[in-house]
Amino acid sequence: MKAAQIAVLSTLLLATGCATHPSNPQDPLEPFNRSIYTFNDKLDRAVAKPVAKAYRQVTPQPVRTGVNNFFDNLLDAYSFVNDVLSVQPVKAMNDLMRVAVNTTFGVFGLVDFATPMGLQNNKTTLGDTLARWGWKDSSYLVLPVLGPSTVRDGLGTATTLYVGPERRILFKDPATANTAAGLLFVSKRERLLDVTDAVDEAAIDPYSYTRDAFLQLRAAQIRGSQASAPAAATPAADDMDIDQLVAPDAAPSSAPASVKPDASAPR
Amino acid sequence: MKKLFFTLLPLLALAMPVIARADVSPVDFVRDNSKQVMETLKKDDGHNTRKVREQVEAMVLPKFDFKRMTALAVGKSWRTATPDQQDQLATQFQTLLVRVYASTMTRYKNAQIDVKPNAILNNSGAEAIVHTEVTLPNSSNGQKPVSVDYTLYKTTQGWRVFNVSVEGASLVTAYRSQFDTEVRNTGVDGLIKLLKDKNAKLAAQQAGA
Repeated sequence: MKAAQIAVLSTLLLATGCATHPSNPQDPLEPFNRSIYTFNDKLDRAVAKPVAKAYRQVTPQPVRTGVNNFFDNLLDAYSFVNDVLSVQPVKAMNDLMRVAVNTTFGVFGLVDFATPMGLQNNKTTLGDTLARWGWKDSSYLVLPVLGPSTVRDGLGTATTLYVGPERRILFKDPATANTAAGLLFVSKRERLLDVTDAVDEAAIDPYSYTRDAFLQLRAAQIRGSQASAPAAATPAADDMDIDQLVAPDAAPSSAPASVKPDASAPR
Repeated sequence: MKKLFFTLLPLLALAMPVIARADVSPVDFVRDNSKQVMETLKKDDGHNTRKVREQVEAMVLPKFDFKRMTALAVGKSWRTATPDQQDQLATQFQTLLVRVYASTMTRYKNAQIDVKPNAILNNSGAEAIVHTEVTLPNSSNGQKPVSVDYTLYKTTQGWRVFNVSVEGASLVTAYRSQFDTEVRNTGVDGLIKLLKDKNAKLAAQQAGA
């Protein structure tokens, strides 16, 4: 009896949750995501953004590039593992060479020699591997502190962080590991300063703007990494036929079925 | 003399579509316009930012079809809006997009734009997607160029842009669910008001800065 009541209640709650926020079918967790987003946003405005701005001010560009390259080299190592897991031998070779070149000639990754040599910087994450294994579409998920992700990518990130071999190999002392994690975070945030400023300016509802842009971007990345050739076509990222909505050169006078044929566009 | 040049420049930009009629390929269209915009942006010496911005706005304004863009962003509700509401939506959305575009470009004024020669033609050549790659100024190494795709369609006055995608994410359709929610809650007029408020806020910010 009690269990049934709870079941009914939670179904109702879920239903209303969906009814109030049906803005994107890929975001069934919207109420939860929004609360995490609000938390992240407050944290960002209070701490992360000011710190990233200060970091940008006090460090010269070459230092920031070096820091970024150093972590990028670690990510290349992860990328190699994921290339192997997702059976992409060409990419695996590419990433292995990147790590080899940048760790040696690039002084532990501080200088990126591999990119000018023609070794592409294409990171494969655990999320990409899972996508390649068949988990193509995943719901939107906002991770605490880390921000926009999907359930699939979040799982990948969590696993990577949990396994985190660099914690045992490179940064044995926990204090060093935490400093490194902090520096990585600040470095990432600094590189996103311009993007987040643009979103702040452009968006009316920053949450859904960020979400929709992120999901489209991630879908394009997955499409790109699935195709063996570099993603040549970027299909219009929506299913809507614009000519159905507005006839070229003239606004339709609310005649949805009979769209005025366009002289310049026979179709 | 210089003043005269600056007053004439927007006029020249307005005259451009007349000179560059339908025969221009979409790739050339994007290339010429990007070049013009970047050249204008480089004139910004810190004192004339507002003037440069206005010039850039005047330059890009006729190259976009804001009505089509707005329809794309609004989606299904576009059809339920009256022509008058559509006009108002397009005007407000245009103000917002142009402002965002101008300030983004000011931020990236030293970027390199590489327009790819192979456009994708759809709809028997009436629609084209032109790929460009933007290399940001302070990305000396490691950072990949950002891919920016323009979707254009052919009008009697030449090509017009109606969608812009950055790394596969459309800057226009990213608005759709915000617009949808607003239309569902407060109607088309509510959305118009929301856009007006947003623009007023940005204008105030800009005036304050």
